[in-house]
Amino acid sequence: MQAYGLDLHCQMIMEEYNAMLPQMRKMQEIVEQQLHHIVDENHLYVNAIESRIKSEESLAGKLLLKGAKYMFLSDITDILGARVITFYTDEVDKVAALVEKHFEVDWDNSVDKRKIYQLNSFGYMSLHYICRIPRSLYYDEQHPEINEMRFEVQMRTALQHVWAVMNHDTGYKSGVEVPYEHLRNLTRLAGMLELADEQFSRIRREITDYRRRVQGLVSSGNFDEVPLNGDTYRSYLSLHPFQQLVEKIAAINQAEIINDNLMPYYDVFVALDFKSLGDIERMKTDYGDAAYQLSVHQIGSTDLDIMAASVAVLNLCAVYILKMGGGVKGLERLYNAMGGTPEANAMRAQNTFSNAQRINLV
Amino acid sequence: MEVTITKTDDKNMVVLNGRIDTTNADQFMADVQPLMQPDAGDVEIDCSEMSYTSSQGLRVFLMLQKSVMARQKKMVLKNMKPQVKEVFDITGFSNIITIQ
Repeated sequence: MQAYGLDLHCQMIMEEYNAMLPQMRKMQEIVEQQLHHIVDENHLYVNAIESRIKSEESLAGKLLLKGAKYMFLSDITDILGARVITFYTDEVDKVAALVEKHFEVDWDNSVDKRKIYQLNSFGYMSLHYICRIPRSLYYDEQHPEINEMRFEVQMRTALQHVWAVMNHDTGYKSGVEVPYEHLRNLTRLAGMLELADEQFSRIRREITDYRRRVQGLVSSGNFDEVPLNGDTYRSYLSLHPFQQLVEKIAAINQAEIINDNLMPYYDVFVALDFKSLGDIERMKTDYGDAAYQLSVHQIGSTDLDIMAASVAVLNLCAVYILKMGGGVKGLERLYNAMGGTPEANAMRAQNTFSNAQRINLV
Repeated sequence: MEVTITKTDDKNMVVLNGRIDTTNADQFMADVQPLMQPDAGDVEIDCSEMSYTSSQGLRVFLMLQKSVMARQKKMVLKNMKPQVKEVFDITGFSNIITIQ
Protein backbone atom coordinates (compact mmCIF):
# COMPACT_ATOMS: atom_id res chain seq x y z
CA MET A 1 0.00 0.00 0.00
CA GLN A 2 1.27 3.45 -0.88
CA ALA A 3 1.54 6.11 1.83
CA TYR A 4 -0.10 8.90 -0.21
CA GLY A 5 1.26 11.38 2.33
CA LEU A 6 -1.44 10.40 4.82
CA ASP A 7 -1.12 10.76 8.57
CA LEU A 8 -1.10 7.69 10.80
CA HIS A 9 -4.85 7.84 11.50
CA CYS A 10 -5.70 7.95 7.81
CA GLN A 11 -3.19 5.19 7.04
CA MET A 12 -5.07 2.97 9.52
CA ILE A 13 -8.30 3.66 7.67
CA MET A 14 -6.55 2.75 4.42
CA GLU A 15 -5.36 -0.56 5.97
CA GLU A 16 -8.92 -1.27 7.10
CA TYR A 17 -10.08 -0.54 3.55
CA ASN A 18 -7.69 -3.05 2.03
CA ALA A 19 -8.63 -5.68 4.58
CA MET A 20 -12.34 -5.14 3.86
CA LEU A 21 -12.07 -5.31 0.06
CA PRO A 22 -13.27 -8.96 -0.29
CA GLN A 23 -16.37 -8.20 1.79
CA MET A 24 -16.93 -5.01 -0.18
CA ARG A 25 -16.86 -7.01 -3.40
CA LYS A 26 -19.40 -9.40 -1.95
CA MET A 27 -21.58 -6.44 -0.95
CA GLN A 28 -21.27 -5.02 -4.45
CA GLU A 29 -22.44 -8.31 -5.94
CA ILE A 30 -25.42 -8.52 -3.57
CA VAL A 31 -26.46 -4.89 -4.03
CA GLU A 32 -26.24 -4.89 -7.81
CA GLN A 33 -28.05 -8.22 -8.06
CA GLN A 34 -30.84 -6.96 -5.79
CA LEU A 35 -31.20 -3.69 -7.71
CA HIS A 36 -31.54 -5.59 -10.99
CA HIS A 37 -34.04 -7.92 -9.36
CA ILE A 38 -36.32 -5.21 -7.96
CA VAL A 39 -36.23 -3.21 -11.19
CA ASP A 40 -37.09 -6.27 -13.29
CA GLU A 41 -39.72 -7.54 -10.88
CA ASN A 42 -41.52 -4.20 -10.99
CA HIS A 43 -41.27 -3.91 -14.78
CA LEU A 44 -39.30 -0.67 -14.64
CA TYR A 45 -37.32 0.12 -17.76
CA VAL A 46 -34.23 1.94 -16.57
CA ASN A 47 -31.30 3.36 -18.46
CA ALA A 48 -28.58 1.71 -16.34
CA ILE A 49 -27.73 0.08 -13.06
CA GLU A 50 -24.10 0.39 -12.14
CA SER A 51 -21.84 0.16 -9.12
CA ARG A 52 -18.25 0.66 -8.12
CA ILE A 53 -15.94 0.30 -5.16
CA LYS A 54 -13.98 3.45 -4.44
CA SER A 55 -10.39 3.00 -5.60
CA GLU A 56 -7.48 3.22 -3.16
CA GLU A 57 -6.28 6.43 -4.87
CA SER A 58 -9.70 8.02 -4.68
CA LEU A 59 -10.07 7.12 -0.98
CA ALA A 60 -6.60 8.50 -0.27
CA GLY A 61 -7.59 11.76 -1.95
CA LYS A 62 -10.71 11.96 0.16
CA LEU A 63 -8.75 11.29 3.36
CA LEU A 64 -6.19 13.91 2.45
CA LEU A 65 -8.95 16.50 2.14
CA LYS A 66 -11.12 15.60 5.12
CA GLY A 67 -9.58 12.60 6.88
CA ALA A 68 -10.08 14.10 10.33
CA LYS A 69 -13.84 13.81 9.83
CA TYR A 70 -13.71 10.01 9.86
CA MET A 71 -12.92 7.84 12.87
CA PHE A 72 -13.26 4.46 11.10
CA LEU A 73 -13.68 3.18 7.56
CA SER A 74 -17.34 2.53 8.39
CA ASP A 75 -17.87 6.28 8.79
CA ILE A 76 -17.27 6.68 5.07
CA THR A 77 -20.56 5.78 3.43
CA ASP A 78 -19.62 5.80 -0.23
CA ILE A 79 -16.85 3.20 -0.36
CA LEU A 80 -19.41 1.12 -2.21
CA GLY A 81 -21.61 3.20 -4.48
CA ALA A 82 -24.44 1.99 -6.69
CA ARG A 83 -26.41 4.02 -9.15
CA VAL A 84 -29.74 3.56 -10.86
CA ILE A 85 -30.29 5.83 -13.85
CA THR A 86 -33.89 6.14 -14.95
CA PHE A 87 -35.40 7.73 -18.03
CA TYR A 88 -38.11 9.72 -16.25
CA THR A 89 -38.22 11.81 -13.09
CA ASP A 90 -41.22 9.98 -11.63
CA GLU A 91 -39.33 6.71 -11.96
CA VAL A 92 -36.66 8.03 -9.61
CA ASP A 93 -39.35 8.03 -6.91
CA LYS A 94 -40.47 4.53 -7.83
CA VAL A 95 -36.91 3.21 -7.60
CA ALA A 96 -36.45 5.06 -4.30
CA ALA A 97 -39.57 3.43 -2.87
CA LEU A 98 -38.24 0.03 -3.86
CA VAL A 99 -34.81 0.73 -2.38
CA GLU A 100 -36.52 1.77 0.89
CA LYS A 101 -38.44 -1.49 0.86
CA HIS A 102 -35.55 -3.81 0.06
CA PHE A 103 -32.62 -2.22 1.92
CA GLU A 104 -32.19 -0.62 5.36
CA VAL A 105 -32.00 3.12 4.73
CA ASP A 106 -29.95 5.30 7.09
CA TRP A 107 -32.30 8.30 6.96
CA ASP A 108 -30.03 10.59 9.00
CA ASN A 109 -27.43 10.46 6.24
CA SER A 110 -29.58 10.17 3.14
CA VAL A 111 -30.09 13.24 1.01
CA ASP A 112 -32.70 14.24 -1.49
CA LYS A 113 -30.70 16.85 -3.35
CA ARG A 114 -33.73 17.52 -5.50
CA LYS A 115 -35.34 19.25 -2.52
CA ILE A 116 -32.45 21.33 -1.31
CA TYR A 117 -31.53 23.28 -4.39
CA GLN A 118 -31.67 27.03 -4.05
CA LEU A 119 -34.39 29.20 -5.55
CA ASN A 120 -31.85 30.93 -7.72
CA SER A 121 -29.84 27.92 -8.82
CA PHE A 122 -30.27 24.72 -10.72
CA GLY A 123 -27.99 21.82 -11.17
CA TYR A 124 -26.96 18.64 -9.52
CA MET A 125 -30.16 17.06 -8.44
CA SER A 126 -30.34 13.46 -7.47
CA LEU A 127 -31.48 11.29 -4.65
CA HIS A 128 -28.83 9.65 -2.49
CA TYR A 129 -29.72 6.96 0.02
CA ILE A 130 -27.24 5.56 2.49
CA CYS A 131 -28.17 1.94 3.03
CA ARG A 132 -27.26 -1.34 4.65
CA ILE A 133 -27.91 -4.86 3.44
CA PRO A 134 -30.67 -6.32 5.63
CA ARG A 135 -30.13 -9.75 7.16
CA SER A 136 -33.27 -10.93 5.41
CA LEU A 137 -31.48 -10.41 2.10
CA TYR A 138 -28.06 -11.83 3.02
CA TYR A 139 -26.35 -12.98 6.17
CA ASP A 140 -23.03 -14.74 6.70
CA GLU A 141 -22.16 -15.28 10.34
CA GLN A 142 -18.46 -15.30 9.42
CA HIS A 143 -18.87 -11.78 8.05
CA PRO A 144 -21.52 -9.83 9.96
CA GLU A 145 -19.80 -6.62 8.80
CA ILE A 146 -21.48 -7.13 5.42
CA ASN A 147 -24.72 -6.10 7.14
CA GLU A 148 -23.07 -3.33 9.13
CA MET A 149 -21.13 -1.48 6.43
CA ARG A 150 -23.09 1.24 4.70
CA PHE A 151 -23.16 1.96 1.00
CA GLU A 152 -24.65 4.68 -1.16
CA VAL A 153 -27.37 4.33 -3.78
CA GLN A 154 -27.76 7.24 -6.16
CA MET A 155 -30.98 7.52 -8.12
CA ARG A 156 -31.22 10.01 -10.94
CA THR A 157 -32.58 10.51 -14.42
CA ALA A 158 -30.43 10.11 -17.52
CA LEU A 159 -30.36 13.89 -17.96
CA GLN A 160 -29.41 14.44 -14.31
CA HIS A 161 -26.65 11.92 -14.93
CA VAL A 162 -25.47 13.82 -18.00
CA TRP A 163 -25.39 16.97 -15.90
CA ALA A 164 -23.47 15.31 -13.08
CA VAL A 165 -20.89 13.80 -15.44
CA MET A 166 -20.36 17.04 -17.36
CA ASN A 167 -20.26 19.07 -14.17
CA HIS A 168 -17.63 16.72 -12.79
CA ASP A 169 -15.68 16.94 -16.04
CA THR A 170 -15.51 20.73 -15.83
CA GLY A 171 -13.75 20.44 -12.47
CA TYR A 172 -16.47 22.50 -10.81
CA LYS A 173 -16.28 20.48 -7.62
CA SER A 174 -12.52 20.09 -7.58
CA GLY A 175 -11.95 23.24 -5.60
CA VAL A 176 -10.34 24.97 -8.56
CA GLU A 177 -11.87 28.35 -9.23
CA VAL A 178 -14.10 28.33 -12.32
CA PRO A 179 -14.71 31.68 -14.03
CA TYR A 180 -18.11 33.26 -13.47
CA GLU A 181 -19.04 33.09 -17.14
CA HIS A 182 -18.52 29.31 -17.26
CA LEU A 183 -20.49 28.80 -14.06
CA ARG A 184 -23.31 30.88 -15.49
CA ASN A 185 -23.34 28.80 -18.69
CA LEU A 186 -23.35 25.58 -16.67
CA THR A 187 -26.29 26.86 -14.65
CA ARG A 188 -28.19 27.76 -17.81
CA LEU A 189 -27.54 24.27 -19.15
CA ALA A 190 -28.73 22.73 -15.88
CA GLY A 191 -31.97 24.72 -16.10
CA MET A 192 -32.51 23.51 -19.63
CA LEU A 193 -31.94 19.86 -18.65
CA GLU A 194 -34.34 20.22 -15.72
CA LEU A 195 -37.01 21.60 -18.03
CA ALA A 196 -36.34 18.84 -20.56
CA ASP A 197 -36.71 16.21 -17.81
CA GLU A 198 -40.07 17.70 -16.81
CA GLN A 199 -41.21 17.84 -20.42
CA PHE A 200 -40.27 14.22 -21.10
CA SER A 201 -42.26 13.10 -18.05
CA ARG A 202 -45.22 15.31 -19.00
CA ILE A 203 -45.23 14.03 -22.61
CA ARG A 204 -45.11 10.44 -21.41
CA ARG A 205 -48.03 11.05 -19.04
CA GLU A 206 -50.05 12.65 -21.84
CA ILE A 207 -49.32 9.79 -24.26
CA THR A 208 -50.35 7.27 -21.59
CA ASP A 209 -53.58 9.21 -20.94
CA TYR A 210 -54.26 9.42 -24.68
CA ARG A 211 -53.77 5.67 -25.12
CA ARG A 212 -56.12 4.95 -22.22
CA ARG A 213 -58.78 7.24 -23.70
CA VAL A 214 -58.42 5.67 -27.15
CA GLN A 215 -58.58 2.15 -25.73
CA GLY A 216 -61.80 3.17 -23.96
CA LEU A 217 -63.30 4.50 -27.20
CA VAL A 218 -62.22 1.42 -29.16
CA SER A 219 -63.63 -0.94 -26.52
CA SER A 220 -66.92 0.96 -26.43
CA GLY A 221 -67.23 0.75 -30.21
CA ASN A 222 -67.15 4.51 -30.88
CA PHE A 223 -64.98 3.92 -33.92
CA ASP A 224 -65.82 7.15 -35.73
CA GLU A 225 -64.34 9.11 -32.84
CA VAL A 226 -61.06 7.24 -32.98
CA PRO A 227 -58.49 8.64 -35.44
CA LEU A 228 -56.56 6.03 -37.36
CA ASN A 229 -52.94 5.77 -36.28
CA GLY A 230 -50.51 3.01 -35.37
CA ASP A 231 -51.62 2.92 -31.72
CA THR A 232 -55.36 2.97 -32.37
CA TYR A 233 -55.07 0.37 -35.12
CA ARG A 234 -53.15 -1.91 -32.74
CA SER A 235 -55.88 -1.52 -30.10
CA TYR A 236 -58.49 -2.17 -32.80
CA LEU A 237 -56.78 -5.41 -33.83
CA SER A 238 -56.98 -6.64 -30.24
CA LEU A 239 -60.77 -6.77 -30.79
CA HIS A 240 -60.22 -9.22 -33.70
CA PRO A 241 -62.36 -7.05 -36.02
CA PHE A 242 -61.92 -9.30 -39.09
CA GLN A 243 -62.43 -12.62 -37.31
CA GLN A 244 -66.03 -13.09 -38.48
CA LEU A 245 -65.02 -12.66 -42.13
CA VAL A 246 -61.92 -14.84 -41.65
CA GLU A 247 -64.04 -17.70 -40.25
CA LYS A 248 -66.66 -17.30 -42.96
CA ILE A 249 -63.99 -17.58 -45.67
CA ALA A 250 -62.28 -20.50 -43.90
CA ALA A 251 -65.62 -22.32 -43.79
CA ILE A 252 -65.67 -22.47 -47.62
CA ASN A 253 -63.11 -25.31 -47.54
CA GLN A 254 -63.20 -26.06 -43.80
CA ALA A 255 -59.74 -24.55 -43.80
CA GLU A 256 -57.28 -24.35 -40.94
CA ILE A 257 -56.64 -20.67 -40.11
CA ILE A 258 -53.05 -19.46 -39.68
CA ASN A 259 -53.04 -16.23 -37.69
CA ASP A 260 -50.56 -13.94 -39.32
CA ASN A 261 -49.67 -10.32 -38.64
CA LEU A 262 -52.32 -7.77 -39.66
CA MET A 263 -50.30 -4.70 -38.62
CA PRO A 264 -48.83 -4.22 -42.15
CA TYR A 265 -52.37 -3.38 -43.34
CA TYR A 266 -52.22 -0.16 -41.33
CA ASP A 267 -50.09 1.36 -44.11
CA VAL A 268 -52.65 0.18 -46.66
CA PHE A 269 -55.51 1.87 -44.79
CA VAL A 270 -53.46 5.07 -44.54
CA ALA A 271 -52.76 4.87 -48.29
CA LEU A 272 -56.50 4.45 -48.86
CA ASP A 273 -56.90 7.76 -47.01
CA PHE A 274 -58.87 6.26 -44.12
CA LYS A 275 -59.06 8.78 -41.29
CA SER A 276 -60.72 6.85 -38.49
CA LEU A 277 -61.38 3.30 -37.36
CA GLY A 278 -64.97 4.02 -38.42
CA ASP A 279 -63.75 4.05 -42.04
CA ILE A 280 -62.48 0.47 -41.62
CA GLU A 281 -65.75 -0.58 -40.00
CA ARG A 282 -67.72 0.92 -42.92
CA MET A 283 -65.51 -0.94 -45.38
CA LYS A 284 -66.30 -4.17 -43.56
CA THR A 285 -70.04 -3.48 -43.58
CA ASP A 286 -70.19 -2.30 -47.20
CA TYR A 287 -67.79 -4.77 -48.82
CA GLY A 288 -67.56 -7.78 -46.49
CA ASP A 289 -69.96 -9.82 -48.62
CA ALA A 290 -68.13 -8.97 -51.83
CA ALA A 291 -64.79 -9.93 -50.24
CA TYR A 292 -66.37 -13.26 -49.27
CA GLN A 293 -67.65 -13.79 -52.82
CA LEU A 294 -64.19 -13.09 -54.20
CA SER A 295 -62.72 -15.66 -51.79
CA VAL A 296 -65.34 -18.24 -52.80
CA HIS A 297 -64.35 -17.72 -56.40
CA GLN A 298 -60.64 -18.02 -55.58
CA ILE A 299 -60.58 -21.08 -53.34
CA GLY A 300 -64.06 -22.63 -53.62
CA SER A 301 -63.03 -24.78 -56.59
CA THR A 302 -59.79 -25.99 -54.93
CA ASP A 303 -59.15 -28.48 -52.13
CA LEU A 304 -56.89 -26.02 -50.26
CA ASP A 305 -57.76 -26.39 -46.58
CA ILE A 306 -55.32 -24.00 -45.00
CA MET A 307 -55.29 -20.19 -45.19
CA ALA A 308 -53.74 -17.15 -43.57
CA ALA A 309 -56.15 -14.92 -41.64
CA SER A 310 -54.90 -11.94 -43.63
CA VAL A 311 -56.70 -13.28 -46.73
CA ALA A 312 -59.90 -11.68 -45.39
CA VAL A 313 -58.36 -8.20 -44.97
CA LEU A 314 -56.49 -8.48 -48.24
CA ASN A 315 -59.62 -9.34 -50.23
CA LEU A 316 -61.58 -6.67 -48.35
CA CYS A 317 -59.01 -4.08 -49.43
CA ALA A 318 -58.94 -5.47 -52.97
CA VAL A 319 -62.72 -5.16 -53.29
CA TYR A 320 -62.69 -1.65 -51.82
CA ILE A 321 -59.99 -0.57 -54.31
CA LEU A 322 -61.94 -2.01 -57.23
CA LYS A 323 -65.20 -0.42 -56.07
CA MET A 324 -63.41 2.94 -55.78
CA GLY A 325 -62.23 2.56 -59.40
CA GLY A 326 -58.62 1.74 -58.54
CA GLY A 327 -58.46 -1.00 -61.17
CA VAL A 328 -55.50 -3.30 -61.78
CA LYS A 329 -53.01 -0.56 -60.91
CA GLY A 330 -54.68 -0.04 -57.53
CA LEU A 331 -54.44 -3.78 -56.84
CA GLU A 332 -50.79 -3.77 -57.85
CA ARG A 333 -50.11 -1.03 -55.31
CA LEU A 334 -51.92 -3.07 -52.64
CA TYR A 335 -49.88 -6.19 -53.34
CA ASN A 336 -46.63 -4.25 -53.61
CA ALA A 337 -47.33 -2.84 -50.15
CA MET A 338 -47.48 -6.43 -48.86
CA GLY A 339 -44.11 -7.40 -50.40
CA GLY A 340 -43.12 -9.66 -53.29
CA THR A 341 -41.72 -8.66 -56.65
CA PRO A 342 -43.46 -6.05 -58.85
CA GLU A 343 -43.68 -8.56 -61.73
CA ALA A 344 -45.36 -11.22 -59.60
CA ASN A 345 -47.66 -8.63 -58.03
CA ALA A 346 -48.68 -7.34 -61.47
CA MET A 347 -49.71 -10.85 -62.42
CA ARG A 348 -51.49 -11.32 -59.13
CA ALA A 349 -53.38 -8.05 -59.61
CA GLN A 350 -54.44 -9.13 -63.07
CA ASN A 351 -55.68 -12.50 -61.71
CA THR A 352 -57.69 -10.80 -58.96
CA PHE A 353 -59.14 -8.31 -61.42
CA SER A 354 -60.19 -11.13 -63.77
CA ASN A 355 -61.80 -13.04 -60.91
CA ALA A 356 -63.64 -9.91 -59.79
CA GLN A 357 -64.92 -9.38 -63.33
CA ARG A 358 -66.25 -12.92 -63.49
CA ILE A 359 -68.40 -12.38 -60.42
CA ASN A 360 -69.45 -8.90 -61.55
CA LEU A 361 -67.61 -6.99 -58.83
CA VAL A 362 -66.31 -4.62 -61.48
CA MET B 1 -41.20 -35.15 -56.03
CA GLU B 2 -37.45 -34.66 -55.73
CA VAL B 3 -35.67 -32.55 -53.16
CA THR B 4 -32.01 -31.71 -53.69
CA ILE B 5 -30.15 -29.90 -50.92
CA THR B 6 -26.71 -28.41 -51.40
CA LYS B 7 -25.08 -26.80 -48.37
CA THR B 8 -22.70 -23.92 -48.95
CA ASP B 9 -21.21 -22.08 -45.97
CA ASP B 10 -24.22 -20.77 -44.02
CA LYS B 11 -26.78 -21.30 -46.77
CA ASN B 12 -28.79 -24.29 -47.98
CA MET B 13 -29.61 -24.26 -51.68
CA VAL B 14 -32.69 -26.42 -52.27
CA VAL B 15 -34.13 -27.46 -55.60
CA LEU B 16 -37.69 -28.85 -55.74
CA ASN B 17 -38.79 -30.90 -58.71
CA GLY B 18 -42.36 -32.13 -59.34
CA ARG B 19 -45.66 -32.03 -57.42
CA ILE B 20 -46.20 -31.90 -53.66
CA ASP B 21 -49.53 -33.51 -52.81
CA THR B 22 -51.12 -35.89 -50.31
CA THR B 23 -49.18 -38.85 -51.67
CA ASN B 24 -45.73 -37.43 -51.05
CA ALA B 25 -46.11 -34.62 -48.49
CA ASP B 26 -44.79 -36.87 -45.69
CA GLN B 27 -41.74 -37.69 -47.76
CA PHE B 28 -41.27 -33.98 -48.51
CA MET B 29 -41.38 -33.31 -44.76
CA ALA B 30 -38.72 -35.98 -44.16
CA ASP B 31 -36.58 -34.64 -47.00
CA VAL B 32 -36.44 -31.10 -45.57
CA GLN B 33 -35.66 -32.24 -42.00
CA PRO B 34 -31.95 -31.30 -42.37
CA LEU B 35 -33.08 -27.71 -42.98
CA MET B 36 -34.74 -27.66 -39.54
CA GLN B 37 -31.67 -28.68 -37.57
CA PRO B 38 -30.38 -26.16 -35.00
CA ASP B 39 -27.19 -25.54 -36.98
CA ALA B 40 -28.88 -25.21 -40.39
CA GLY B 41 -28.33 -21.79 -41.97
CA ASP B 42 -30.39 -19.72 -44.42
CA VAL B 43 -32.61 -21.57 -46.85
CA GLU B 44 -33.04 -20.67 -50.52
CA ILE B 45 -35.52 -22.80 -52.43
CA ASP B 46 -35.58 -22.90 -56.21
CA CYS B 47 -39.18 -23.69 -57.18
CA SER B 48 -38.71 -23.39 -60.95
CA GLU B 49 -39.35 -27.14 -61.43
CA MET B 50 -42.15 -27.41 -58.85
CA SER B 51 -45.44 -27.86 -60.69
CA TYR B 52 -47.96 -27.89 -57.81
CA THR B 53 -48.34 -27.82 -54.04
CA SER B 54 -51.33 -28.95 -52.02
CA SER B 55 -52.30 -27.78 -48.53
CA GLN B 56 -50.03 -30.45 -47.09
CA GLY B 57 -47.13 -28.94 -48.98
CA LEU B 58 -48.04 -25.49 -47.67
CA ARG B 59 -47.99 -26.87 -44.12
CA VAL B 60 -44.45 -28.16 -44.64
CA PHE B 61 -43.36 -24.77 -46.01
CA LEU B 62 -44.94 -23.12 -42.96
CA MET B 63 -43.13 -25.45 -40.51
CA LEU B 64 -39.89 -24.82 -42.35
CA GLN B 65 -40.46 -21.07 -42.20
CA LYS B 66 -41.16 -21.19 -38.44
CA SER B 67 -38.05 -23.28 -37.84
CA VAL B 68 -35.88 -20.92 -39.88
CA MET B 69 -37.31 -17.84 -38.11
CA ALA B 70 -36.77 -19.42 -34.69
CA ARG B 71 -33.10 -19.69 -35.59
CA GLN B 72 -33.14 -16.07 -36.79
CA LYS B 73 -32.23 -17.20 -40.29
CA LYS B 74 -33.89 -16.42 -43.61
CA MET B 75 -35.89 -18.48 -46.04
CA VAL B 76 -36.77 -17.44 -49.56
CA LEU B 77 -38.66 -19.22 -52.34
CA LYS B 78 -37.58 -18.32 -55.87
CA ASN B 79 -38.62 -18.78 -59.48
CA MET B 80 -42.15 -20.01 -58.75
CA LYS B 81 -44.37 -20.97 -61.69
CA PRO B 82 -47.50 -18.80 -61.96
CA GLN B 83 -49.91 -21.64 -61.09
CA VAL B 84 -47.91 -22.43 -57.93
CA LYS B 85 -47.64 -18.76 -57.01
CA GLU B 86 -51.43 -18.51 -57.28
CA VAL B 87 -51.81 -21.20 -54.59
CA PHE B 88 -49.60 -19.15 -52.29
CA ASP B 89 -51.54 -15.98 -53.18
CA ILE B 90 -55.10 -17.18 -52.64
CA THR B 91 -54.24 -18.86 -49.34
CA GLY B 92 -52.41 -15.74 -48.11
CA PHE B 93 -49.14 -17.71 -47.83
CA SER B 94 -47.36 -15.22 -50.05
CA ASN B 95 -47.82 -12.76 -47.17
CA ILE B 96 -46.23 -15.19 -44.71
CA ILE B 97 -43.38 -16.62 -46.79
CA THR B 98 -40.87 -14.53 -48.73
CA ILE B 99 -41.24 -15.23 -52.45
CA GLN B 100 -38.94 -13.70 -55.04
